[in-house]
Amino acid sequence: MGDEKKIPKTPKLDELDKGPWPSFVREIKRAAEKSPMSRGLLGVLERSYNEKVGHWKHGGIVGVRGYGGGVIGRYSDLPEEFPDIAHFHTIRVNQPAGWFYTSAALRTICDLWERHGSGLTNLHGSTGDIILLGTRTEELEPIFSELTQMGFDLGGSGSDIRTPSCCVGPARCEWACYDTLGLTYDLTMHYQDEIHRPAFPYKFKFKAAGCPNDCVASIARADLSIIGTWKGPIQVDAAAVTAYTKDGTDIQADVCDRCPSKCMAWDGKALTIANEWCVRCMHCINVLPTALRPGPERGATILVGAKAPIIQGAMLSSVLVPFMKMEPPYTALKELVGKMLELWAEEGKSRERIGEFIQRVGLGNFLEAIGLEPLPEMVAHPRENPYVFYEEYLEEEPTEAKA
Amino acid sequence: MAETVAQRKTDIGPPHYQKFLPPIVKQNYGQWRYHEILRPGVMVHVAESGDRLYTVRAGSPRLLSIQTIREFCDLADRYSGGHLRFTSRNNIEFLLTDPGTIDPLVADLNTRGFPVGGMANAISNMVHTQGWVHCHSAATDASGIVKAVMDELIGYFTTMKLPAKLRLALACCLNMCGAVHCSDIAILGIHRRPPKIDQDRLPKVCEIPSVVASCPTAAVRPKRIDGKETVEVIEERCMFCGNCYTVCPAMPLADALNDGVSIWVGGKVSNARTAPMFSKLAIPYLPNNPPRWPEVVEAVKHLVEVWAADAKKYERMGEWIQRIGWPRFFQKTGIPFTKQHIDDFRYAGLSYQRSVHIKS
Amino acid sequence: MAEAVTVEEVAEGIYKMVKDAAGVKKLKPTDLTKAMVEHFGPERCSKDLCKEAIRTLMDSGRCVYTYFGGSFIELPPKEDTAA
Repeated sequence: MGDEKKIPKTPKLDELDKGPWPSFVREIKRAAEKSPMSRGLLGVLERSYNEKVGHWKHGGIVGVRGYGGGVIGRYSDLPEEFPDIAHFHTIRVNQPAGWFYTSAALRTICDLWERHGSGLTNLHGSTGDIILLGTRTEELEPIFSELTQMGFDLGGSGSDIRTPSCCVGPARCEWACYDTLGLTYDLTMHYQDEIHRPAFPYKFKFKAAGCPNDCVASIARADLSIIGTWKGPIQVDAAAVTAYTKDGTDIQADVCDRCPSKCMAWDGKALTIANEWCVRCMHCINVLPTALRPGPERGATILVGAKAPIIQGAMLSSVLVPFMKMEPPYTALKELVGKMLELWAEEGKSRERIGEFIQRVGLGNFLEAIGLEPLPEMVAHPRENPYVFYEEYLEEEPTEAKA
Repeated sequence: MAETVAQRKTDIGPPHYQKFLPPIVKQNYGQWRYHEILRPGVMVHVAESGDRLYTVRAGSPRLLSIQTIREFCDLADRYSGGHLRFTSRNNIEFLLTDPGTIDPLVADLNTRGFPVGGMANAISNMVHTQGWVHCHSAATDASGIVKAVMDELIGYFTTMKLPAKLRLALACCLNMCGAVHCSDIAILGIHRRPPKIDQDRLPKVCEIPSVVASCPTAAVRPKRIDGKETVEVIEERCMFCGNCYTVCPAMPLADALNDGVSIWVGGKVSNARTAPMFSKLAIPYLPNNPPRWPEVVEAVKHLVEVWAADAKKYERMGEWIQRIGWPRFFQKTGIPFTKQHIDDFRYAGLSYQRSVHIKS
Repeated sequence: MAEAVTVEEVAEGIYKMVKDAAGVKKLKPTDLTKAMVEHFGPERCSKDLCKEAIRTLMDSGRCVYTYFGGSFIELPPKEDTAA
């Protein structure tokens, strides 16, 4: 195998093998030293660079037995010219929470991918999975079997719960307001069936961010965004604040003037915070990490509905629960999500994300159906239009009847 | 065969993350006190226990060969007890306990062509999609533009000289697998021609009601052609989203002449200071010009430079634009404002200027 | 109380629906579940039972999941026919 290493000529791609930023072309060429499929990729990609169009076809049918997610089928539209890459399926492997690895674990994945695939990967895919990029249909079952022997499993794809992911959280961040890795692992295990067997109108993503900085972009990218926050006063180390001024930090300009709720005052000596006005945006804590910390009573804000444009336009998640304690076994969260999923599975249209579903039925009706009370924290402002629905109304008492 | 079936394991989930945490992380889990950025790409986290964990962050092309991953593994074995992690923006991080290993590791990474940086007021690695490497609906390549842009902007990755963080992202079509819609600068592949219907194939492979329902503007309508149920596209209603193609492979949109790239600015996901924001359209169309997309690289570089020169400290792209206003954004950047910049989809009216607050 | 139907009976019902719809309409798990609950009656057939029935069809390979913008349940096709 691989005796005749015919690496195709790629004058266009070679231009991207140059320059200071690490090159993906170099990566494909490295893989091509061993993999005919990666050699094929160089050929197809050079062709795309010449023609300015892609050469991949839908491939919606392949998978491993019993699962409806985890494999993205892909075929070349030039199979005669590039037979080595006629199939180019992707495997999504559920990453360990927080993307921590040992070299030993990563090497076992590399070895598997050398035996069964192109030798190309993405670390990581947009949703968070380890992406094994490019294999043939007949390799899928052997790959799955070896992966599970190694203790890995496939992630989500299609109309299922997608692989949950999270920020680095308490593993290496003092701002984590709950255990993002713990929650992510817990949810991933809790929803194994729903991750592997699509049973919903469309995809559903969880992302766990430890604080309002939202390093996993959960508010933009997750149907359910769990963003860490706290209650009560920011913890202040007054001496450390003063120390910053000696390093040239302008507390007034860099901290107080940038505070969105203008709840901070600096008199040249001490920083005072009117905590009841704080919106917990993180700016002051970001600027003064050794001096300020989130308050000790911690939890998360639960938001719902973010998505990219397809179909009805892009959305950001919006508040569903302003503050929820985040402690194992996360019963309140799972009960809430369970009700939401059941309602959306029952009444959502095909390819309708939960955010679009909520827009269609109305947040008020959605809340009623899942048993949540409406709160002013859920809206930027109350309605501006007077077209109000009322299901209940008063009727005149039939006064005569009594007499 | 029967034996293999019996052994088949399913629904085991990912390995537990605790198996992969370095000992210092396990010991100080949830007990970090503060952190400091020591220099570009290097930071220290200090635990309540006094333990110090050093992180060295390097950029990667995300598309990695197993050979390069093994190289990272070798580095981890040599410098960080075999422990490494990846970030949500495709950077690789080595977690060190001995500060003496920082310099050798940084030097080693640089020699191998992996730049160290991407922290604090810098450009971090670009989030991006698959493009022509793997995607069927791509309107442009992803890795190629990212490489060309980062070659130009690498100096902002390896330093911390910008007013604030700058998050770049690329998605190769409107599906936005890279969810670029909340980035400081987003590069978005766009189609500009309606789907070309393969009328022979469509009735065989596509379900007419699903295709019709997939269109957000009702441009796709059922039609009987030569006795076969198929669809037609009302071309003036089509805004090239590609949604029909996702449910029906017989309606490809790719068009070498007209596909290209649009540039969006001012989005953010962090809640710091201002609320999260969507990116807004800056440049409606730039041509696909592989292999190095010079027009796109120049446009992105220009936007970074205009912002960097004018923004105040901690002012992200969107916050800077909020302060100066959109008219001045177009003035300062020299980008022409066109019909395409004005929204005409749902709730378009909310984006009109509904006041006389106009800077002279 | 009416006697519950067995997983096998529900699986057969689902299989028949999928088979009859082949080439005409792509069915989602929720379409099949709703149809089975209606067919057998909610007191005899639950959503969980349908889920189990779908799983047996998938595990045995009689049906497969497919993806066309969304996920569907279909008979196993010949590879590449739809691509």
